[in-house]
Order: sequence, then structure tokens, then C-alpha cells
Amino acid sequence: MNRCTVTTGFFVLGRCGQAAVAACPQCGRPVCAAHAGPNALCPECAAAQGYRTQDPHHPGWTHGYRRDYYRGSSQTYNDGYWYSSFDEYDRGAFNPGDDYSHGGDWGPDDDTGFVDS
Amino acid sequence: MSHGPLRHRAAYVAFDRFPSSKGSAVHIAQMADELFTRFGGGLLAAIGGGDLPRYQREGTREVARFDASIPNLIDRAEAFSGWVAAHLRPHWETLEVCHVRDPWSALPAVADGRRHTVVYEVNGLPSIEMSHTWPWAAPATLGKIRELERFCLERSDAVVVPSRVIGEAVRGLGVPEGRIHLVPNGADVGDRPERPAGAPERYLVYVGALQPWQGLDVLMRAFARLADLPGLRLVVCASVPERRAKPVRRLAERLGVAGRVDWRFALPHHEVAAWLAHAEVSVAPLTGCARNLDQGCAPLKVIESMAAGVPVVASDLPAVRELMADGRHGRLVPADRPAELARAVRILLEYPEEAAAMGRRGRAHIEESLTWARSRARLAEVYRTLTRGR
Repeated sequence: MNRCTVTTGFFVLGRCGQAAVAACPQCGRPVCAAHAGPNALCPECAAAQGYRTQDPHHPGWTHGYRRDYYRGSSQTYNDGYWYSSFDEYDRGAFNPGDDYSHGGDWGPDDDTGFVDS
Repeated sequence: MSHGPLRHRAAYVAFDRFPSSKGSAVHIAQMADELFTRFGGGLLAAIGGGDLPRYQREGTREVARFDASIPNLIDRAEAFSGWVAAHLRPHWETLEVCHVRDPWSALPAVADGRRHTVVYEVNGLPSIEMSHTWPWAAPATLGKIRELERFCLERSDAVVVPSRVIGEAVRGLGVPEGRIHLVPNGADVGDRPERPAGAPERYLVYVGALQPWQGLDVLMRAFARLADLPGLRLVVCASVPERRAKPVRRLAERLGVAGRVDWRFALPHHEVAAWLAHAEVSVAPLTGCARNLDQGCAPLKVIESMAAGVPVVASDLPAVRELMADGRHGRLVPADRPAELARAVRILLEYPEEAAAMGRRGRAHIEESLTWARSRARLAEVYRTLTRGR
């Protein structure tokens, strides 16, 4: 029997593990009755629908981009200043380095947070 | 369970992986949980990657994770800010409170035309901290980051700090006193956990990350001075991946203590609690650098060690003095002095009854004044003040 593989929990994550009743039409993962949304979408795909895709190669991207462009950005984040003030020289200091550069040894399992207690 | 797109009244944004085994993740979990409890759910936008799903939905709560692999930190921060903006946009009309943890999260939240209030939680100031983690960053570059911080702080409605020292640093950046709120870190005092499997008979414990300001080098040098104590081991519960430990391990080898040090990496929070509870002494050897002194810190390891009932030997820094008292909950020793650190540990080991009493007093101190419940009540009060009359 297939088990629901939806990630559950907030601080401690787990898998749902209930008996699956459907497969998410978008990502194909098995979902249980409690986690299957409309059209059997899993919660991850359902939540993703609420946000514009970040991938410019995705067919949905142009639509969102165009809509936002015409709506104008005076009401939302439009950083025309802060990040552009960091030039190549500034950015160069923050490239991942070797073992000798503290915090510069960056890998996929690394945190990007810079504040730690 | 709601299935359509959710419209949130609250958002919590952090340029930090969540969940993770670092102290910051414990803090995020507590603060975000309080925010979402007050506002009937909300959006948590954080860093993901690895096995973490890009989106998660639990009832009225959503977690969105940024997982683009962009090696350069500023490029990554820039992409993150854009991603945050895109994730706040669907909620722009309904959002009442946006709680942020850093300038990269704050920048899109403090944009013009917002209706929501912004709570900026300052656990550290990148303009100070990054000079330690990125020694090649030019002062001019850090100056630009300071201006960015200042801009975001100025436009925030409230600034939450976990220690008075950080509050002072924020005031130094021009934030008026009335907008700064102290919400200390906390810990939960629970039952004594089981002894961890494979735990040595007698051990000192260090818990936390391995950045240079944590003072692991000082601890290793101090531990080398305790070589005459038979069977005493040092357990390092590092909150970061193993390869980050290379420099400290090399130092341990050079000092001849590597054979007496046990390493544990990225343990889940409850396992760390067990290692703390059965240690003789917990050590927090924070160095006396600008990051710890000027910026300030609120070391969760000190609070969690006290909650576990373990005497603490920590560096005598103003931020640590806010949390524990010398001679009462453990010992405070001058920072960056391995000999002093070793001596304080040795005395505690020689007087186990007094050490145990310190552990008990530490635990009582947390129960009385530094629980997460208290911190969360203070945070709730900040939200209440801000949203009153809206």
C-alpha cells in the first residue's frame, strides 16, 4: 500500500504516513485523504500555486512578469538602489573560498544565515 | 484544511535555514509560532535546500523556502530579497504584521505603500558580524551594509532585541529608545532526559556553531591543560556540518587533545538537551571580539545549559552577564584566557556538590525568568501595542 509522503510538522519535520488515496497530478507523490486538495493536489503544489513561479523558463513566468510590470511597482519592493550599490569589488569579498576563509566554505548543506547564537 | 491560495495577516521572514540544528532555528520556531498564534496562521519565508520541501502547508500556516544555490553571499541576498517580495505580494492587502530577522528580509518588507507594520528582530548586525565571517570584506563594503541596516531599522515600526547589549548597538544606529523592545531568549525546562548512548563517564560539553567568535580554540587550549584528569573528555555538539570542523580539529591535533574529544554534528535539538543534561560542565568560551562585545549576542547555549541543570563556565561578557551570575549559576571567566577557563572548570570538577548546586540554581533561574513562555508573552505585547487602533 502506498503511504502519503507529505512533509508534516513545523520545527520537527516528519512524513504523514497515512494510507494514500491519490497521486498529486503535478508532482506525482502519493497523498492521503486529509492532504489531498482540490484535484488531488498535494499541499506543496497547492501552496506553490499561490505564488508566482521564480523560474523564467516556466511558461507561467511571463504572465506574472507582465502583470506585475503593468501594475507598476510603486506599491511593492523595487530596489533600484540598495543592491546596485554593491559593485563587483564589494561582492568579490563574499565569494565562497577555501578552508581558510571563515564562513566562505559554502556548500549545498550549508546554512546561509550569518547570525548564530 | 483550506485548499485555495491563503491570504495571510502575518509573515515571518528569515535569511536562515529552517528548521535546522542551530540555535537560530529554535528561536525562529518560538517567535514565528507566537506570531502565527496571534494572527490565525501566517507565512514563514526562510531558506531551504537539501531535503526540505519548497512549500509546506499546515492548516492556516504556510512555509515557503528559498532554495536557489547562489554561492556569492550578496548575490544570494539580493535574489532572496526579490523572492521575499514575490512571496509577500499576494498578501500585500491582508498583511498586518511582517516580522523580519535581517536586512535582506527587511528590505522588501519596508517598501513604500505598505499597510502592515514591520517588526525587525535584531539578533546581530551583519555590518559588524560579517567583518568576522568575511575578513576580506572592505570597510567601505561593510559601510554600505551598515547604511542598508540603518535604512531598514529606520523604517521598521518596532525593533526587537534579545539582549540589552544589542539594544545599545541598535540605539547607536539611531533607532529611538521607545521603538526598541527587549525580548530575551528562553528555554523550556523539562524532565531530565536519558543519558545519550555512547556518552563518556565524565565529560565537558560545548554546544553550538564553530565560527571563530565562539572561542573553540580557547576551549581546546584550556582542555589541553586538563590532560591530567583521568577519563575526562570533551564532547562538542556542533550545529554545523562536519567539514566546518576542520580548522578546530587540526588545532586539537596540534595541541594533542584530539584523542579526548568526541564530535557530534547537527544533532536534533532534543538530543543536544540530553548531552547537556549529563555533562559535568557546559562551556561557552565566547571571545572578546567586536561581534560579542559591540554588537552583543544572546547565547542560547548558556540558557539551555542552565535549563538542563548543568553549571556553566562562560566568558565574562556583558551579554552573558545578562543571563547568568558568576558563582551562582556557574563561573564567568575573562574571555580569551585558556588558563583561567581551565582553572574554573577544574575547580567545579573538584567540588561536585557546589557544581551541582549551581546547576540547580541555574535551572530555577530559567524557570523563574527565562522561559520561552515569558519571551513569547513579551513578543505578543509588542504585537498588541503595534496593532492597537488599527
